[in-house]
Amino acid sequence: MKKVRFLTAVLLFVLAAGAMVQAGDFSHIEAILERLDAQSRFDGSDFSAVLTMIVEDPEKGIEKMVVRQFRRDDGERFLLLIQEPVTQRGQGYLLEGDNLWFYDPSSRQFAHTSLKETFQGSDARNADFGSNTYSSSYEIEGYLEGTLGSFEVYIIDLKAVDETVPFPYVKLWVTKDSNLVLKTEEYSLTYRLMRTGLFPKYTKVGDVVIPVQMVFIDELVEGNKTQISVSEISTNDIPDHVFTKAYIERVNR
Amino acid sequence: MFLTMKVAFRNISRQKKRSFLLAGAIAFGMMVITLMNALTGGAVINIRDNFSHALGGHVFITGREWTEAGQMIMKIRPDANLDRLLEENARQIEAFTRRSQAMPSLIFGSQQTMHLLYGVDFSEEDRLIDSLVVVEGSLAELGKRDDIIVLPEPVAERLGVEVGETVLIRLETLTGQQNVGEARVAAFIKDQEELGLSAAYTSRANLNSLLGMEPHEYQILNMFVTDLDLVDQFARTFREGLLSPEEAEEAEDEPEVTVTVAGMPIDPGTRTQEVTPWEGTRYQVMNINQIMEAVELVVGVLNRVGLVIFLILLVVTMVGITNTFRMIMIERTKEIGTMRAFGMQQKQVKRIFLWEAVLLGLLGCLGGLVIAGVIALAVGSVSLNTDPSLQFFLNNGRITFSLPLQDVAVNVALVILTSLLAAYWPARAAAKMSPMKALSSHT
Repeated sequence: MKKVRFLTAVLLFVLAAGAMVQAGDFSHIEAILERLDAQSRFDGSDFSAVLTMIVEDPEKGIEKMVVRQFRRDDGERFLLLIQEPVTQRGQGYLLEGDNLWFYDPSSRQFAHTSLKETFQGSDARNADFGSNTYSSSYEIEGYLEGTLGSFEVYIIDLKAVDETVPFPYVKLWVTKDSNLVLKTEEYSLTYRLMRTGLFPKYTKVGDVVIPVQMVFIDELVEGNKTQISVSEISTNDIPDHVFTKAYIERVNR
Repeated sequence: MFLTMKVAFRNISRQKKRSFLLAGAIAFGMMVITLMNALTGGAVINIRDNFSHALGGHVFITGREWTEAGQMIMKIRPDANLDRLLEENARQIEAFTRRSQAMPSLIFGSQQTMHLLYGVDFSEEDRLIDSLVVVEGSLAELGKRDDIIVLPEPVAERLGVEVGETVLIRLETLTGQQNVGEARVAAFIKDQEELGLSAAYTSRANLNSLLGMEPHEYQILNMFVTDLDLVDQFARTFREGLLSPEEAEEAEDEPEVTVTVAGMPIDPGTRTQEVTPWEGTRYQVMNINQIMEAVELVVGVLNRVGLVIFLILLVVTMVGITNTFRMIMIERTKEIGTMRAFGMQQKQVKRIFLWEAVLLGLLGCLGGLVIAGVIALAVGSVSLNTDPSLQFFLNNGRITFSLPLQDVAVNVALVILTSLLAAYWPARAAAKMSPMKALSSHT
């Protein structure tokens, strides 16, 4: 009987300790989130790169897209210009603060769109091409310590604090030592897994650490997957006129 | 008068072949305009019915409100004012439904398709349930369970799903967040894509929960009215009844537009309209006539084109009638002289000619209407399996014809008028003929 009581007490202690991790002090996790956000922002410099996307869809097959990205985080601006496939060449996305515009050269029209939308029917979302906003858009619900492959990680459960982000719940696998996001799981409002993101390779550009390989897996439609690799990275200054509607129109002439 | 009419009728009967040809020409024109008017009239009725059926009513009320985050969303909360209006106008409402709607991705395995999904309260959707043609499965569970879905057959085929299996519904909440739900397929229904009705149906509670709405909230209130002629007035009652004091003030403050191009008002300059967020719900009331305006505009143009063709045919016929009557006048010179010698007045001679023209016109109209009726009956009895987009103009795959009596009356009046006009000068010439000269004529 004593043995049973002792085991019960141990079990209760373990559960209580676990609960403390879940509901206790998250200050160091908050600090990690702030670091994740900060190290994804190009403050004081511009960023440009070429994104090569391989979109796998069981119905449509495999498609390759090449996109040139120009980014200026001061003022929340980016420009994504599609270079391949030829049929979509010239289409572009221009972010100006809170407004995201999509330009279609065939109609020569700009249409308002949202960072929450998927990018060109792929599994990436427009928001994936900007800096992180984990610390401002989400609150910590809990975390666990664990491993992902050979990496020691924090597994952090986040809940959106507002409706500016597409996914209301996110789970992050963040390396303990270098604070890099290795994996994300994004959930619906009904807490169903919708998308998994894998970030196997990073590169350091100045003070900024960016993933140069990303894989987004649609967890609802079997076989839907998008791989993105980042190349031709540059932090050279980008002329102001690049982040304008006129520029997108001009490059299409 | 009766005598002149009798003589006119006898004259027509004397020259059967000529009368037949003249009346035939008029009949042809009458047939064309009747068929054209009836065809467009029938199409308008069919389009209106099909639209009403597709949209689920004659009057549609939507509500908009602002979230705390400054986002405008479309939803209607329970509203005592709206309930009061529904109660007060209950006599004019045949049925009403409250629906939510979304354009989600329906997913099964590796297949997905985007399709219109209505969230309906099956207990108030008898009309809908009656109109659904079940191909497989059953509608028995509708209203008993929330997590079920009814799919159009082509959608089910695209997804490769069977009745009883579960599909995923991926959509965005009203505020744009990702959400996913499950629903078991209760039945496949015959697609009514041709009627613009290709929609899947689930319970409103189920769809609301996925859209981030409360079960008793909805997005559209659809009403079928008892008298379609009063639909504008009915809609106005609701529009005015649901107007908030702030909206009324804003409407008064708006500057009046005075510049018009081709009857269409335009702004004097480019004006960026800034929407100021408001408190509570603002309603928008639409009715079927507003939706039909564009269709009726096209139909109006078609009818005018038809009228022009009809008038051209009438002018051609008029020339024929004038020539024929001049010939008749020459043929009957001696007869006219005799009648005049026996005391017939000039007016009476003229009337005989004019009555002949009227009778010919009436005969032609009658013939044209009969032929048009026969053609309409024959064409209307054929069921057409044409392009699905054409089905919107048809009634259950059949062409229908509808012609208001006043349109027939106008067409008949036009024919009579032109016939009278055509016969007037020969009739006047005949009346003015001297009896002496007429009797001494060799014709």
